[in-house]
Amino acid sequence: MRSRRVRERLFRIKEFAPGGGNGYIESRRKELVSVASDFGLARGAQDLPREVIVARGLEKTYGDVHAVRGVDFTIRRGECFAFLGPNGAGKSSTIRMLSCLSPVSGGQLTVLSLAADIGERRIKERLGIVSQDDNVDPDLSLMENLLVYARYFGMPAAEAVRHAEQLLTFMQLEGRSKAAVRELSGGMRRRLVIARALMHRPDILVLDEPTTGLDPQARLLVWGAVGQLKLQGVTIVLTTHYMDEAERLADRLVVMDHGRILQEDAPRPLIERTVGREAVEIWQQPGEDDQTFIAAAGDGLILSDRHGDTLVLYSAEPGRIGQAFAVRGLAPSRMLVRPTNLEDVFLTLTGRDLRE
Amino acid sequence: MNDTARLLRAGAAVWWRDFVAWRKFWRSSILLNFGEPLTNLLALGVGLGAYVAVMQGVSFLQFIAPGLLAVTAMNAVTFDAGFETYDKLNSSGVYAAMLTSPLTVPEIVLGEYLWEATRAILYGAVFFLVILAFGLVHSWWSLLLPVPLVLFGVLFTAPALYVAAVARTHEQLFYYFSLVITPMFMFSGVFFPVTHLPWIVQDIIYILPLYHGVVLARAMVLGQMGPGVLWQFVWLIGYAALLAYLPVRALARRLTT
Repeated sequence: MRSRRVRERLFRIKEFAPGGGNGYIESRRKELVSVASDFGLARGAQDLPREVIVARGLEKTYGDVHAVRGVDFTIRRGECFAFLGPNGAGKSSTIRMLSCLSPVSGGQLTVLSLAADIGERRIKERLGIVSQDDNVDPDLSLMENLLVYARYFGMPAAEAVRHAEQLLTFMQLEGRSKAAVRELSGGMRRRLVIARALMHRPDILVLDEPTTGLDPQARLLVWGAVGQLKLQGVTIVLTTHYMDEAERLADRLVVMDHGRILQEDAPRPLIERTVGREAVEIWQQPGEDDQTFIAAAGDGLILSDRHGDTLVLYSAEPGRIGQAFAVRGLAPSRMLVRPTNLEDVFLTLTGRDLRE
Repeated sequence: MNDTARLLRAGAAVWWRDFVAWRKFWRSSILLNFGEPLTNLLALGVGLGAYVAVMQGVSFLQFIAPGLLAVTAMNAVTFDAGFETYDKLNSSGVYAAMLTSPLTVPEIVLGEYLWEATRAILYGAVFFLVILAFGLVHSWWSLLLPVPLVLFGVLFTAPALYVAAVARTHEQLFYYFSLVITPMFMFSGVFFPVTHLPWIVQDIIYILPLYHGVVLARAMVLGQMGPGVLWQFVWLIGYAALLAYLPVRALARRLTT
């Protein structure tokens, strides 16, 4: 029974894989899927409500500061849902409220059909929380970190040991179980926090900026693990300000700024709806004028954006602007044509000003 | 599961975390908590004691030994609860991690009481063995010493947790140690009987929790138990009950914003 389920999951990898394409990620993903399926990392999501987290008019205030100003969102069972936004946008406040780490100031928030303000204990039993600071216990070894944490959940000791060993393998920390946490690199600490958050087989994994400060290899490992857990039916909630991360991992995302949600959609539709499919970047040279290019781009142009000495023209159809330029004999001296990405959406929606 | 069982299980989980962390460094930890009272016992009891013939009918060494046992327990609890809690809040994130589990702030505080009570008994017991070796223990009543030590585990932990929760820097912790704990150590009847002091001073000393612990420890070690000793228990239990909830709100304010 189990092995059949595993096979089915493996079979579906391609269609689930966000972004697709990257061969290395694919092969890592497959490797990890087989590992994680054997271990039964997740409980299986059959008994969960379809809408696992629902927020309506959710607010957070700290004294006079209005960090979250009435947001609505619905996170569905088994999906990866991302909160994007610049620093101070309110995404960490939101994610702390839905993790029951911070009281709700206004509006409604239900997690797994329980009101966040009264169901705190039962919600936390089913949530795995990876917070921004790597708060692993510095006085304990890796294994002790996991076992002590399992006790907080009242998990039987023998089961905890078995599961901890599996998780150390899953996060590629095996062979270090007796090492002191102080000896770990940043990437290893983050992996340990993720392993810890999985000790009690949560239904929802909450990741607050999971790859900030990690090197590319460690990021790949974390992404592989996340994709992998998703295949196991774990709902993933994530905040990030890495656009490639959101594009790669998220099924749906919201862009937040100043405590409000600006846009909500799946990455690709959101990108195409906001900035089209192709971006043409023109580095302005003396004697070249924005208006010339904008006029020349004609009705192919969705949006234009200028920052510094660069003009960006967005087009719904690839090649259209290039064609229009050719027809008018325009040849900008320095030009880059590239597909649009989430970064374009992000910068268009939240502006280019520094926040801090 | 009923609430009491859940509370105890949660407290035991927090206790277990502290125990696992402690057992790595237990040798140096015992040595550190042990050096100072032992020095006091030798330097004052033996050295100064040579010039102080008799105090309340016993030798000076005999007089101060039980009081130093109480002080050892108080310090073992106070410094651990103060520094460790400060670090758990401000640098290591141990409490923040606990709160990502179903543990609540009152359960964490309970766990710290259980652990500090354990420490009080443990460090008290080590000191007890020393005074036993010096031939300074005279009564089986001494077997009841864990009772006041457990109460110490609550009543001295509570203010230390509170101070650690409100302190903004390490230095602020020292205010508590040097302005509250050290004077209490000096004036709680460890080194001299308070009965010859002016009434007003005696009244002030009488409200110090350590004083009652010292009197109780001395009565147990010397076998001078009488009905009056019950009052010392009432004071210690009263302090423990009064202070137990003090750190909960302060810690909750720090941890759940």
